Amino acid sequence: MQTTESTGAAPQPRRAKILLATLMALCAAVLILVALVLPAEFDRDPLGVGEALGIRGLSRQPQLERVRDEKTGYRGEAVTFELLPFEFVEYKYRLHEGGTMLYSWSATAEVVFDFHGEPDAGPEGFAESYRLGKADGENGAFTAPYGGIHGWFWENRGTHPVTVTLTTSGFYSAALQFRDGLVSEKTINEEAAPGAAPD
Amino acid sequence: MLALMPVIVLAHNISGANASFVQELSGAAPVPFMYLGAKHMVTGYDHILYLLGVVFFLGRFRDVLIYVTLFTLGHSITLTGGVLLNLSVNAYLVDMVIGLSVAYKAFENIGGFKQVFGVEPGARIAVFVFGLCHGLGLATKVQQLSLSSENLLSNMLSFNVGVELGQASALTIIVVILLQWRRRSAFQRHGFIANMLLMSAGFVLAGYQFAGYLWN
Repeated sequence: MQTTESTGAAPQPRRAKILLATLMALCAAVLILVALVLPAEFDRDPLGVGEALGIRGLSRQPQLERVRDEKTGYRGEAVTFELLPFEFVEYKYRLHEGGTMLYSWSATAEVVFDFHGEPDAGPEGFAESYRLGKADGENGAFTAPYGGIHGWFWENRGTHPVTVTLTTSGFYSAALQFRDGLVSEKTINEEAAPGAAPD
Repeated sequence: MLALMPVIVLAHNISGANASFVQELSGAAPVPFMYLGAKHMVTGYDHILYLLGVVFFLGRFRDVLIYVTLFTLGHSITLTGGVLLNLSVNAYLVDMVIGLSVAYKAFENIGGFKQVFGVEPGARIAVFVFGLCHGLGLATKVQQLSLSSENLLSNMLSFNVGVELGQASALTIIVVILLQWRRRSAFQRHGFIANMLLMSAGFVLAGYQFAGYLWN
């Protein structure tokens, strides 16, 4: 008997037995790979076994949801704000969680902006910024991460008056304006949506 | 089988949420990286199967210590070197070699090299060389985290320490189970079949990774 530490002793199996065992191990591996792993993990099914077992495409990436139904109506509006030097305004939309809007705003000169949201369920005064910076416009699509009010803060840091024009459309129910310490909320009619089908 | 699949898909790479968590960390973060290292080792069935193969027929504690030290030395060299030198190796191909290392060890365990080929490659050299391969695999996982260069060394060392801690805990369980098993008279017969299964599992892992290399 050998003293090598690689074996815990006992008679070494015979050559034929080892070859047979290796062959069986290899066959079992190929079978598992071809019948199970390839269909389930790689969506490849050379033998059709994966299809028969119903495991083919188990790891297919879920398709991106292209169409989502909306409960509330489609609305849209265009608003403009005149901002004197160092004046600021906030304008936000009430969106439910997952609600989407398209937006485009432009200013006649660079303004400081903060695109942010305040969750309904959040603590008083809590706000989360989505985009911050200085620009003379932005275009984009927004999907609300939570129900609440979502919109922009704009401030004119220049020495000349600036006009900010905002155009939006989406599935919001109301718009809120914060200016000069006053809050005004307006409901927007569905019919006001630009491009909405006329009656 | 179906219930196992998500585990198979998730087990090997450091998952998305973990990865984005550490990417947002700045500076040295020893505990998160140690945790990730330990988690990768404990949930990495390829490393675990290889360790099982290595200690399967090691009856003496001293031998376990020698072999595990050689393996640890090997994977620490390539983990550290690979990350610091920014060596980029294809993760699928490295993992394929790791799968083959499992099959190799199992074949060695049933006396394959000696009986079939008449030569017995040094088992200690093999465990060191495969340690190098496993370390390269670990390095690719760390690199996938795209760590910032500041604190790279300290974070990578934390990951390495975590790997060793994970390895030690996994080994403890494996060795305890093997101790019980070895007492039974049928151990030799069971051992042969177990290593046959281990070999098969190694081939499956290798094939799985090779398919990933081809098609992912």
